[in-house]
Amino acid sequence: MPPRSAGPGETPFACVERVRGAIRIAAPDPRAQALGIVPNMALADARALLPELDVVEADPAADQSWLERIADQCDRYTPMVALDPADGVTLDVTGCAHLFGGEAGLAADLEGRMRVWTGHLRHAFAETPEAAQALARFQTAPAGSEDMALRRLGVAALRLPEEVAVALHRAGLKTIGDLAARPSGPVAARFGAETTEALARLLGRMDSRIQPRRAPPALFFEQRFHDPIARTDDVLATIGALAEQAAEVLAERDRGGRRFAVRLYRTDGATRDLGIESGLPLRYPAIVIRLFRERVAALADPLDPGFGFDMIRLAVPMVEPLAATQLRLEGGAVSEEAMAALVDRLGVRLGRNRICRLAPRDTHIPEQGVLTMAAVDAPALPVAWDAPEPGEPPLRPIHLFDPPQRIMVMAEVPDGPPHRFRWRRTLYDVTRFEGPERIASEWWRRADGAGLTRDYYRVEDRRGRRFWIFRHGLYERETADPGWYVHGLFA
Amino acid sequence: MTGFAELAAATSYSFLRGASHPADMVAEAIGQGQAGIGIADRNTVAGVVRAHVALKQAREDAAAAGLPDIPFRLVVGARLVFMDGTPDIVAYPATRMGWGRLTRLLTTGNLRARKGDCDLTIDDLIGHAEELLLIVMGGAGDGAVLRRLRAACPGRVWLGATMPRGGRDRRRLAALMRVAGEAGVPILATNDPLYATPDQRPLHDVLTCIRHGTTIAEAGRRLAANGERHVKPPQEMTRLFRDCPGAVAESVALIARIGFDLDQLRYEYPREPVPEGWEPQGWLEHLVEQAARDRYGTELPAKVRALIDEEFALIRAQDYACYFLTVHDLVRFARAQTPPILCQGRGSAANSIVCFLLGVTSVDPAQHDLLFSRFVSAERREPPDIDVDFEHERREEVIQYIYRRYGRERAGIAATVIHYRPRSAVADVGKVLGFSKDVTARLVGTVWGSFSGSMEERRYADMGFDPASPAVARLKGLVDQILQFPRHLSQHVGGFVLTQDRLDETVPIHNAAMAGRTFIEWDKDDIDALGLMKVDVLALGMLTCIRKAFDLMRQHGLGDHDLGVNIDADDPAVYDMLCRGDSIGVFQVESRAQINMLPRLRPRCLYDLTVQVAIVRPGPIEGDMVHPYLRRRSQAEPVDYPSPAPPHDPDELKALLGKTFGVPLFQEQAMKLAIVAADFTKAEANQLRRAMATFRNVGTMDGFRQKMVEGMTRRGYEAAFAERCFKQIEGFGSYGFPESHALSFARLVYVSSWIKYYQPAVFACALLNAQPMGFYAPAQIVRDAREHGIMVLPIDINASLSDNRLEAGADGALALRMGFRQMDGFREQWAAALVAARDAEGRFDTIEALARRAGLPQRALRLLADADAFGSLALDRRQALWDVRRTPDAELPLFAAARAAELGQEPDMTLPAMPAAEQVAIDYQTLRLSLKDHPMTFIRPILAREGVLRCADLATTTPGRTVCVGGIVLVRQRPGKGNAIFVTVEDESGITNVVIWARLFELFRRQVMAARLILVEGVVQRSPEGVIHLMAARIHDRTALLDQLGDDPAPGVGNGTIGAGHHPRDVRIIPKSRDFH
Repeated sequence: MPPRSAGPGETPFACVERVRGAIRIAAPDPRAQALGIVPNMALADARALLPELDVVEADPAADQSWLERIADQCDRYTPMVALDPADGVTLDVTGCAHLFGGEAGLAADLEGRMRVWTGHLRHAFAETPEAAQALARFQTAPAGSEDMALRRLGVAALRLPEEVAVALHRAGLKTIGDLAARPSGPVAARFGAETTEALARLLGRMDSRIQPRRAPPALFFEQRFHDPIARTDDVLATIGALAEQAAEVLAERDRGGRRFAVRLYRTDGATRDLGIESGLPLRYPAIVIRLFRERVAALADPLDPGFGFDMIRLAVPMVEPLAATQLRLEGGAVSEEAMAALVDRLGVRLGRNRICRLAPRDTHIPEQGVLTMAAVDAPALPVAWDAPEPGEPPLRPIHLFDPPQRIMVMAEVPDGPPHRFRWRRTLYDVTRFEGPERIASEWWRRADGAGLTRDYYRVEDRRGRRFWIFRHGLYERETADPGWYVHGLFA
Repeated sequence: MTGFAELAAATSYSFLRGASHPADMVAEAIGQGQAGIGIADRNTVAGVVRAHVALKQAREDAAAAGLPDIPFRLVVGARLVFMDGTPDIVAYPATRMGWGRLTRLLTTGNLRARKGDCDLTIDDLIGHAEELLLIVMGGAGDGAVLRRLRAACPGRVWLGATMPRGGRDRRRLAALMRVAGEAGVPILATNDPLYATPDQRPLHDVLTCIRHGTTIAEAGRRLAANGERHVKPPQEMTRLFRDCPGAVAESVALIARIGFDLDQLRYEYPREPVPEGWEPQGWLEHLVEQAARDRYGTELPAKVRALIDEEFALIRAQDYACYFLTVHDLVRFARAQTPPILCQGRGSAANSIVCFLLGVTSVDPAQHDLLFSRFVSAERREPPDIDVDFEHERREEVIQYIYRRYGRERAGIAATVIHYRPRSAVADVGKVLGFSKDVTARLVGTVWGSFSGSMEERRYADMGFDPASPAVARLKGLVDQILQFPRHLSQHVGGFVLTQDRLDETVPIHNAAMAGRTFIEWDKDDIDALGLMKVDVLALGMLTCIRKAFDLMRQHGLGDHDLGVNIDADDPAVYDMLCRGDSIGVFQVESRAQINMLPRLRPRCLYDLTVQVAIVRPGPIEGDMVHPYLRRRSQAEPVDYPSPAPPHDPDELKALLGKTFGVPLFQEQAMKLAIVAADFTKAEANQLRRAMATFRNVGTMDGFRQKMVEGMTRRGYEAAFAERCFKQIEGFGSYGFPESHALSFARLVYVSSWIKYYQPAVFACALLNAQPMGFYAPAQIVRDAREHGIMVLPIDINASLSDNRLEAGADGALALRMGFRQMDGFREQWAAALVAARDAEGRFDTIEALARRAGLPQRALRLLADADAFGSLALDRRQALWDVRRTPDAELPLFAAARAAELGQEPDMTLPAMPAAEQVAIDYQTLRLSLKDHPMTFIRPILAREGVLRCADLATTTPGRTVCVGGIVLVRQRPGKGNAIFVTVEDESGITNVVIWARLFELFRRQVMAARLILVEGVVQRSPEGVIHLMAARIHDRTALLDQLGDDPAPGVGNGTIGAGHHPRDVRIIPKSRDFH
């Protein structure tokens, strides 16, 4: 397989995307940039420039989730967190900063935590969100005051449509200062009210607030620790305590939660989310805590506390009415949903991989035609079971030997049916047969690209027993002496 | 003897279904001793001619080897696949008429469907079923369809049965026998093969994956369970069908009922151009005689008389009168339009005096003692060759005329079979085998151009892939197999097949992707093989340019001309200009390489131009013919002609190569060389020509080499000379240029040079108005015009038209006024509205007046301001932009008036003045050229401090000195074998040609490929003719200097994306150069 570079930093590297049939550079890394690779360049051009360029396909969803995860981290400072796509996060820290030792303390704390996520971090504090965003993105040198710093920025900092930015340049209005010094009426008449408004917001002449990225959850309860906790039992106990608080509030409102989410904040900035969902609204704390216990127990990797958790938050993001109800006495059929609920509960309790379901797979090779998979996973492959042809006996037996069992056979060459075979020291005389069904090997899975073809026969012996046997390899074309196997028994 | 013929064979023309070429299917069936084969592709007959040719070839080979004739029948038909759930039906025409029904049936389906599909129903079949033999390919058998077909076509229906090794074959066969018995139709055995031999199963699986757009790992049961669908020998079929022996015999019975053969397709030229009461030959002679008398008077010169008589005899003997008349008809149509469409013929037949007198060409064969080989040879029964070039903007009119005049059922464009090339093959196969896009992109990324026919092993190794690793070996193996597989059909650029009878009864017709076009299923080779004739109706940008130049000359009282201008092509002043290498914009000889060649070749007559056109091509260059030719021409080296040993004519090569001083330059000479000196037969020479013309026969060239060298040494030539001759022929390979085409092109070279010399302003204007075409961007054309003393005026709302125009300049000479078409994104309808409003009510005095009277939207006004087109209102670009942006869109006058009142009361903004450098930068952004200055002027002070010379300074620099020159990159080229890269850079003083050797290029690849402004350090070289090159030693990318031009973001401003380089808004100041990759 192709040689791959040891990792980013070794070879220039870029993400690419498909734009109307052409592959274009979406984001080059600093090395590639330094060598002249720019966004939007066709990959062919980039390769002509830099044949060794390593590329991967851009994954906007992953970028988005990366940004979301960074924003998740920032929840610890303030609930007012907004995304500033594609690579920024804006926090409203009004009234929060003192908790972290002022702006400088907050920035230092944040930078420390973010170092895990990215090496390219820039931040700025300002009076308005727009000013902070502009300074973080565009400022290159320190300035005496925020206002002076802003006035130095180019009009690009207004983040206007490209056409407007170019037009401002052509008018000779190249910096925020150029614009700020001039009356706004003529500018608005030419470049739209959006332009003057953007300027006003940037300079704090107009009120501006961020749109926090998610409404705070309907209900949330949190516990902070001066001394971080690390033991799982302590974590669960805390969740239990929070669940009781939640139950009280829910009961007051005649509500139950369909979803409970716990977020564990580690001291080093990482967060861990645990969630449970239920088919019916819940509020009884014992059930909630039991489900969380099972959830934690079922985790593939242990709950790594690092240097400990300094905050735990339980949110109930999805609530539904839950009045006191009575069970129906007359019973009823088990519905699909009830089955799903059972699978959910069993799965949470026994481990998801222990509740299985058979799924068909898309291959001609018989023993690979069925897959056992965890029942909670919806079948990922859109494959349907073969519908049996009406009036036809089944082509395959229900039971297969794994591995197929070797037999001795008398048959005609090159590809005649078996007349008689010996299996486990017993001789069987074939009275009836049908076949062959010829199934060739999957050449692409084999290094030599060849592999043996199987000729399957359904045969019946004197006593009416039916076998599924195959010749392994085409006589002379693939092998001089094909082996025979019994692969299954028909009922 | 077991008789069996496979009658449902699919080929690679069942696109992405069949995995063998038609020829391979035929060869396999012959090898197995089958009685015949039936080729039936999916709703198409596109592959049948290949099969037909393959069988003919096999027969010829057998005869040549003294073997008995092959007892084998090829029957051709199609596998009909229906939209309405009817099982597939394989249809074979029993007679010529049946063939016509089949092709019309397919045409019906093709024209009804979206491109590429064929929409058929069983009713269509029943409506076209006369003389067709039908095989219903039913899995379980469909009694109702069988009964219905049997009622419609009694005795001509079979039920096709297969034994696919599905596990229940025998029971299925029994069921089919029952169904067939009930319906009263015979059963026919077939294996329904998709490929010739079992080892093609992997290839077929890959094709299946490509068709489904999936990978081999995920294709699952969409792949066949086994590899049984190959051509099986008669014994094997007999064994498989032992339950029903009659089914095997039936195949031979069916084939015996077919009397049709593709050789029966007789072809007749349409008779439209021949008036009632005339025979084609008589009418042609009448037209020619009349034209001859018009030109030469009643008493024809003896030479003309002789030529005409000779050609008449040939045309009569070959019965080609209709062909010439049809070409004449097209040309006459083009000439009759108002304004006329310029056109000119080329090709072997086009150099006849008949064509000259019919006005098809403007090369007078009586003046130019042209060709050693006459236009059609009597022995070689090949159709005559005339390609007609039309103005590219107006060719569609001619095409639609053809459809109108002959009808869509009688006229069609030939197909072009789009084949897998290395690029597409690696991409598609790689995807199927699960290689990431990155890896395949890297593999194909190294293929320069997409026309090489094989993926050499080296390419894989070059990229660091181990060719021995199984995954790569598998990829390579499959790519090699799939190369040259047809992928789909497309239309030829302009080859028309016209017929007297219905064309759709000869070959099915398809809708082309382009609206209003239809094309037939056969390509050029198929048409040749069947002896159909085609006329190439091609588009040529230079003809548009020449026509526009003639129009301008007429308009400005500079004379009324057509392509016959200065028919003798003998004006020394024009040749003097060319000898100086002053040929920017001139047809064919404007590339750097041509410009360098002009002073060396020093053309003085039309034939010199013919040589000039043909010599700067990969063929002569790689065959190393250029320098010997130039040396002999300048008498630096004696001209000698190697002679054969007696008894052969010692002067045989003199006759052949005399006009080119003993050096073969043209394709015809290479061919003739093989025939005369190496004793090739006509047929062999023909094969050689085909091998040269196509890439398909890469492997066969070796055989020809042996034959040629042997043939020549046998006749007493030296082996070394023979080797060299063959090398030259090989060099022609893909890009040999025939003399017959070069001559017609030479005429256009002359005409365009003539215009450029006598009317440089007209020429520049016409050239700009015919863009995009040719080698140079508008900036270079304008620069060239200004260097020739033409005043070039900027775009202005009170002077410009949509097109560039000529107006009387201050000194009375014609000045070139740039038109709105030079502005990117300015719509033609805006320009038209503006000009109409100006013509109606006079000049515009204000921006508001312009907006209102011309009804221009805000966007149009902004573009005009950006382009600095308000000069006549005394508004500079910045002020105009400022004013325009508040000018309301065209709107009701009442509101406009109300709004206008508000416009006056504005505080003063005091905008800074726009510096000159920024003006130039924006000129380049909006117009891609600037009349104000060259961008390099503003960078010059910096470069001068560094000791960088101007391009013009090189002319006075001593050759051999090492200097440094900088400039904007205009063109990068990597011709031929890629040993050297040519880069043209431009500064305010002129241009420099830089040569970079491939090794150096690898060192400076990034700088060469990415820079828009480069500095080159290197050694100055001057050829004896005075052509200057800079042989690069070091290259620096100084693109960043362009940011100095002023439209850069203000200092201290980052770009807004954390850690990123450029922003999309970061507009390119200098447009992208023209590149080779």
